[in-house]
Amino acid sequence: MTSPGDATPVKPPPSFSPGVGRNASKSRYPNEHESTVLIDAELAEARSVSSPTPPLSATTAELPIRSASPQGRSVRSSTPQLARSSFGSPLDGRFDGSEDIRSLIIRGFCPTIAVYASEDTDVLVKNKGFKGGFWELLRPFGETVTGKVIIRDSIGSSRAWEDYGVRFVDLKGLGRAPASRDSGRDSPLAQIEEVLEQQLGSAEGSLGASLPPKDVLGFPATTSLSKLFLRQLLSSTPAAPHETFGHPVASVIAISSRNKAPLETLRQLYGETNTGDKRLPDWVHQEYLRYYVLVHDEERDDITESTKLYDQMKRHFGLHCHLLRLRSSQCVVTDDDSVQVPHCEWLSPQEHMSGAGDADGTPYLFDSDVSAIKSFIRELTVQSVIPFMENRVAVWNDQVASRRRGISGRFMSMSKRWAGFGSSSRSGIGGSGGGNNVNYDTEHNFYRQDTPEAILRKMADFAFMLRDWKLASSTYDMIRSDFGNDKAWKYHAGAHEMCAVSMLLNPLAMSAKIKLESVDQMFETACYSYLTRCSDATHALRCLALAVELLKSRGGSATESAARWAMRVMDFGLVGSVGQILFMERVAACYASKTPVGGAKWGARRRKAGMWSIFAADQWLKAGKPTLASACLEEAERLYADVLGADGMFPMPEMQSFIDNLRHAVKVDYLQARGFDTNDEPVAGDTVGTEEISEKLDKRNHRRSLMGLPAQLDAGTLMSAGPRDPEDQPNDDFERA
Amino acid sequence: MSYYFTILSPTDTPIFNIAFGTSKGGGDGIARFRFPDTAQYMNQFIIHSSLDIVEEAQWTNGGMYLKHIDTYPPAAAYISAFLTPSGARFLLLHQPPQLPNSGGGSGLGSSSLLGSSGNLARGSTSSIAANPTSPQTEEAVRQFMTEVYESYVKTAMSPFYKQGMEIRSPVFRTRVNAAGKKWL
Repeated sequence: MTSPGDATPVKPPPSFSPGVGRNASKSRYPNEHESTVLIDAELAEARSVSSPTPPLSATTAELPIRSASPQGRSVRSSTPQLARSSFGSPLDGRFDGSEDIRSLIIRGFCPTIAVYASEDTDVLVKNKGFKGGFWELLRPFGETVTGKVIIRDSIGSSRAWEDYGVRFVDLKGLGRAPASRDSGRDSPLAQIEEVLEQQLGSAEGSLGASLPPKDVLGFPATTSLSKLFLRQLLSSTPAAPHETFGHPVASVIAISSRNKAPLETLRQLYGETNTGDKRLPDWVHQEYLRYYVLVHDEERDDITESTKLYDQMKRHFGLHCHLLRLRSSQCVVTDDDSVQVPHCEWLSPQEHMSGAGDADGTPYLFDSDVSAIKSFIRELTVQSVIPFMENRVAVWNDQVASRRRGISGRFMSMSKRWAGFGSSSRSGIGGSGGGNNVNYDTEHNFYRQDTPEAILRKMADFAFMLRDWKLASSTYDMIRSDFGNDKAWKYHAGAHEMCAVSMLLNPLAMSAKIKLESVDQMFETACYSYLTRCSDATHALRCLALAVELLKSRGGSATESAARWAMRVMDFGLVGSVGQILFMERVAACYASKTPVGGAKWGARRRKAGMWSIFAADQWLKAGKPTLASACLEEAERLYADVLGADGMFPMPEMQSFIDNLRHAVKVDYLQARGFDTNDEPVAGDTVGTEEISEKLDKRNHRRSLMGLPAQLDAGTLMSAGPRDPEDQPNDDFERA
Repeated sequence: MSYYFTILSPTDTPIFNIAFGTSKGGGDGIARFRFPDTAQYMNQFIIHSSLDIVEEAQWTNGGMYLKHIDTYPPAAAYISAFLTPSGARFLLLHQPPQLPNSGGGSGLGSSSLLGSSGNLARGSTSSIAANPTSPQTEEAVRQFMTEVYESYVKTAMSPFYKQGMEIRSPVFRTRVNAAGKKWL
C-alpha cells in the first residue's frame, strides 16, 4: 500500500468540485483506495465540526469498506453532500433539517414487495402474535434494510445508501386497492387530517412533546408534525395505473416447513399470482421477480429435512430462494432475549387510525428471529431485488428508451401527433396497438402494461427507486409530452410531477435559474392536470408538498417559490384546518431558510417568515393549542429579532397591538391548559400589558428623536436637525432638575 | 380595488397612512379590504413583510419607482414601492375586489386615462382595477407616486415638520386623496 504522503496530492478538490472525481481512473486502482480513505476521513472530520449530529457522515466515513465496487464512484458519491454542506448554505442548522426531509422523501418512494404466503406459514406466524400473517411480520423490518445497500446506476458507477428500505405489502390487498379507492376519492385527505388531530391530541396530553425538536434545530425546519404529515401523504396513495411505485417489484412466495407438499404448494402459489383472482390488474407489469422462501420452524421441525427441501427448492426455482429459520412459539416480554418489534414508520392513514401505530400494541420477537428476518430482508434486497431492478432498467433502457430517443422514436411520437400517417412505423415499437392510433385505453384510462409508454414510465420509476435521478428525470422528461398528446392526463400529471421531483433530487444538476423555472412550470402543469383534469386532490397535494420541501432544501431563490407553492396549497383548500396551519409554518420555514446573499444585509426574508409564524401562532391559538402557539410566537420573535430595533418594538402600532394581544392570549390559554387557577391571571396579564404599553410609549419617544440620524444625506434632515436638538436638551434638563 | 398607502421612515416607522378605494369606473372611493374589519392589522403586516423585498430591490433597481415588488397571495394584495432620497419609502398596497365582475361597478372601470400622454380609454378587462400587474396599473401607480412625492417634498420642507415625524398636515392628506382619485 502507498503511504499517506503519496495520497495527499489527491487534494481536497475532488471532493469539492463535482467534475474532478470523475477523472479517477481505474489504472490507479490501488492508490485510489487509500486516497478515498484520506478524503473521507477529512470529510467526516469536517462534517463533525460543522454539525454535531451529521446524519450522513457514517455513509461517507465508511465508504472505503466497499473496495470491491468501482472506485471512481466512491469519491464522487460523497461529492454532492459535501458540496452542499460546506458552502451550499451558510447555515448549518438548515442543512441538517433539509437532509432529513430529503431522506424522508426518498424513502417514501421505495420498491414495493408483495408477500404471498401459504396458509400454513400464516398460521405459524399468527401463533407468534402477528394477526396479519407473514406480511405483517416482515413489514417493520423492511423499512430500513440493515447495512449499506450498493446500487449501480445506468452509467455503471455505484453508490452506497444507508437508508434504503423496501415496503412489504399483502398481495391480496394489492388487487383490491383500486376498488376501495374509487369509492371515496377524497377520503385519504380527510384521514390524514384526522391522524394529525389525533397526534396533536396525544402530543398535548404529554405536554410539550412536540416542542423539543423545534428548539434543538434552531429553525422550524421540520417539526415532527409536518414530518408525520409528509409521511402520511407519501404512504396514502395506493397502487394506481399512472405510477408504478405501488406496483410490486417482486413478490415473496412463502411456505413453511410444516407444509406436506412444499414444491407443489410453491408452484400453486406461483400460478395463483399469474392467473386466477390473485392476478394483479392489467396495468401492473406482470414480470416481477418471484422470490421463494421456506420458513423453517425451529422448534417443531427437523433442520436437516428443511435443508434438503431448501436444496430442492433451489434446484427447481433457481437462486431466488431463502431459508428463514424462525421459532414458532410466541415471545413475551419476560423472555430472556425478547426484542420489541420496531415501530412501523410508513403506515397509511387508515392503519394509523385503526391504532396499528400504537407502540404498546407491537408484539415481541426472539432476538434470533429478529436477526434471521433482518438478514433475510437484506439478502432479498441486495442480492435479488436490486440486481433485478438494475437489470430491468438496463434492458428497458436499451430496448425501449433508446429506440424512443432515436430518430425513429421521434418520428413515432411525431407521427402520432399528425395522426394521418405513420401508423405502420409505429407498429414495430408499439406492439400491441390496435387499429386505434394510440396505446392509451381511453375506456379504462390506462396504458396496458406492455405498451412502450407504460414500460418507460416503469423504467423511470425503477430508476427513481434505485436513486438514479438523472436517468429518471431524463426518462420522465421524454415521456411527459407523449402522455399529453394521448390525453392521458393522470399519466401526464404524474410524469411532470416526478420529472420535477427527480430533477430537484439530483444533486449535481440544476444550478441554473432557468432550470428552476422549468421545474416550477412542471409542478404547475402537474398540479393543473391532477386537480382540474382528474380532480385527484391527494396526488395534487402530494405533488405540491414535495415541491415545497424539495425547493426549500435547494436554498437560494428556490425557497421563495417553495413558499409560493405552500401558499398555493392553502389557497386550493387541499388541506384541513390543521394542515392549513402546518403549511403556514412551512411558509415561515421556507422564508426563514432564505439567507442574505454573500455578506450583504439584504436578501433575507426575516420579516415574511416572522409574519407567517405570527399567523400560525394565531391559528394554533384559535385551534386551542396554546403550546404550539407559544412555540410559533417564540419562533417569530427570533425571526424578528434582527429586523427590529434593540427595544423589540414593532414600528407599526396596529401590528404591535395585535402581537401584544396575541402574546397575552397565548399566555392565558397556556396557563389555563396547564390547570393554573386563572382567576387572578387576567389581572396579572393586564399589568403585563400596561407595563408593555407604557414602555412602548417611552421607547417610541426615544426612537423618534433618533429618527433622523441614519438619513443625514437628506436635505430635509439638515434643515430640521437644527431646531430639534436644542428642543430635546432642555427637556432632559427639566427632568433632571 | 382598495388601496392602502403608507410612508415609512428610514427606521420603518410609518409616518403617514391612508386607505382609500378606487374612484374609477363609478367607484365610491371607499376602501373595502378582504380582511374583516377586526383584522386591519393585516395591511400593516403585509406592508412590513414586503420591506424584505424593498431592501433587496432598492439595490438592484435603478429607479426611484420600484414598480410592483411583492405579492401576498392569500389576500391577493400587491405591493408597489417608491423610494425617496431621504430614505423614506412609499408603499402602496392594492387589492383587487373579491369578485371583479359583481357588485356596484367596483371592478368595471372602463376609462383609466393613463399617463400624461393621454392614452385612450381601455376596456374593462384592462382597467387597473382588474389587473394589478398590468403595465397600465404600473404606470398609474407611478403617476400617483410621483404626485405624492411632490407633495411630500413640500410637506417635508415645512419649517414645522421634522424628519421622521408623523405627517399630520391635512393639506397633504387631501392632496394624496386627490392623487388617488385622479390616478387610481
